[in-house]
Amino acid sequence: MKSRIFYNRVGFTTLLNKEIHRFMKVPVQTVLAPLISNILYMLIFGGMLQTREVGIDGISYLNFLVPGLATMGAIFAAFQNPAFSMISQKFQNTIQDLNSYPISLAEKILAFVFGGMFRGVLVGILTYVATIFFVGYEVAYPIFFILSLTATSFVFASVGLIAGLVLDNFEKMNFALAIIITPLTYLGGVFFEVSKLPGFLANLIYFNPIFPLVNVSRYAYIGVCEGNIVIHVLLTMGLLISSFFVAAYIFKKGVGIKIV
Amino acid sequence: MLSVRDVSMTYQKGKKEALKNINLEIAEGEFTALLGQNGAGKSTLINILAGNVKKTRGSVSIGGYDLDKKELETKKIIGIVPQDTGYDFVFTVDEALKKQSGYFGIKNNKAYIDEILEALYLTEKRSARIRDLSGGMRRRFLIAKALVHKPKILILDEPTAGVDIEMRHTLYDFLVKLHQFGTTIILTTHYIEEAEKLCKRIVIIDGGKIIADEPKEELMDAFSRESIIEVHFDQVLNLADFDFLSDYHPHIEDKTRLQLKASKNDLSKVFRQLSEKNMEFTNLVVERPKLEDIYLNIIKH
Repeated sequence: MKSRIFYNRVGFTTLLNKEIHRFMKVPVQTVLAPLISNILYMLIFGGMLQTREVGIDGISYLNFLVPGLATMGAIFAAFQNPAFSMISQKFQNTIQDLNSYPISLAEKILAFVFGGMFRGVLVGILTYVATIFFVGYEVAYPIFFILSLTATSFVFASVGLIAGLVLDNFEKMNFALAIIITPLTYLGGVFFEVSKLPGFLANLIYFNPIFPLVNVSRYAYIGVCEGNIVIHVLLTMGLLISSFFVAAYIFKKGVGIKIV
Repeated sequence: MLSVRDVSMTYQKGKKEALKNINLEIAEGEFTALLGQNGAGKSTLINILAGNVKKTRGSVSIGGYDLDKKELETKKIIGIVPQDTGYDFVFTVDEALKKQSGYFGIKNNKAYIDEILEALYLTEKRSARIRDLSGGMRRRFLIAKALVHKPKILILDEPTAGVDIEMRHTLYDFLVKLHQFGTTIILTTHYIEEAEKLCKRIVIIDGGKIIADEPKEELMDAFSRESIIEVHFDQVLNLADFDFLSDYHPHIEDKTRLQLKASKNDLSKVFRQLSEKNMEFTNLVVERPKLEDIYLNIIKH
């Protein structure tokens, strides 16, 4: 227990373990349910469109779909973990306990973000594992694929933490999920190629923050993607840093945690 | 051990000034009661110490550490038992206490957790989920949670609210033991007799200000100048017969008991005057005012 940023390693790991332990106690709800949804997407879309080739180097639609589904699973799981955790602590009136721990601000934020990230990566990887049955296990750049899921999960765990701090009930959280996160994800290139969209919509998608995340994951999985991979990696890094610092700023201000 | 200097707090919502220039010094090993009506500012002060509320002005030092500069160090020194019995829906008593130890940087705390659970009669419930505990058990669990890191200062915000009388006395015994082992205790309560029984020092907050801060005995002695003297007779009394005692505000209770308000020093005078009037009484009782009477007296003025 020395530095101001990393002050209490045991406290940090305990908080992180709690975030993981909490969702692992209800695996059907937190891991299995999104996995089943993704398999159903695979069966329905993949079954209907499996013979269709995609306009990126003649990749089959099923292969095109896998990284999109893995990314989508990671996004929802990573978002929900810290958002649910913070809101349920508000609901249980235990949120202010966080103020009494000798754990630094950075450690607290990282524990919540890493907890969400872990769940996101777990769902993303399990989605990939489940699709092996449909498309085989080949991944163009396996380490890069895991890193891309990790980055996506990190971004959405930070966004989930922001939502958990700012919002005060589950209704608002579900509203944010249904009105913002879900449409952005569905329109982020999970299920389709941007080049197939009409001109205006194709341009609009470049403003969707989920598009670079899906694209990086797709590049790692099939070795090709729409647009320039370097730009999309840089955009991903930008999203990762900005989402984390916004979450850290809101946490430091005490929004939803402290009484002012 | 705890120093609060010129602390003020104004809530942004409603611009309510909850604390006005509070000054409070609490030495190591003290057992202090913090009394006040609802909205007096007690919980705001406790929440500032716990880090839940940001003070507007002033400084706070806990165990020699400045709350603004060394906040994390101050956390290790205090344990807070909140007023609200919020609890985690998922974890068992044992899991929650192990996690609580971890938050304070303590890896293996089983022996001490066992000790606390036993002292608070919770051993049998260690595997139960917190949501399945009764209200009284949940209160005891919150005390256990506040103690896992062996804090030097324990702050209890109405720990016995809604707890049955038997369990309340069990908690009193536990707090007395804890205090004997050297823990500094600050207790807020609405049960004044609780403060009278347990605490050595009384701090009364009203309207965001400290209006009384005295050792309990001194406070009670100061207000004991006006004790209630009750003189028992074996006949029906007439108030007019006691005009000669009008300085002591005579009042008749149950037709045969004369009540007077007088200081202990006046007792012999009253006795003499009654004897001079050949009034034979059967008993004479001097009742010292209770802390509750003193508290109400202070709050009213």
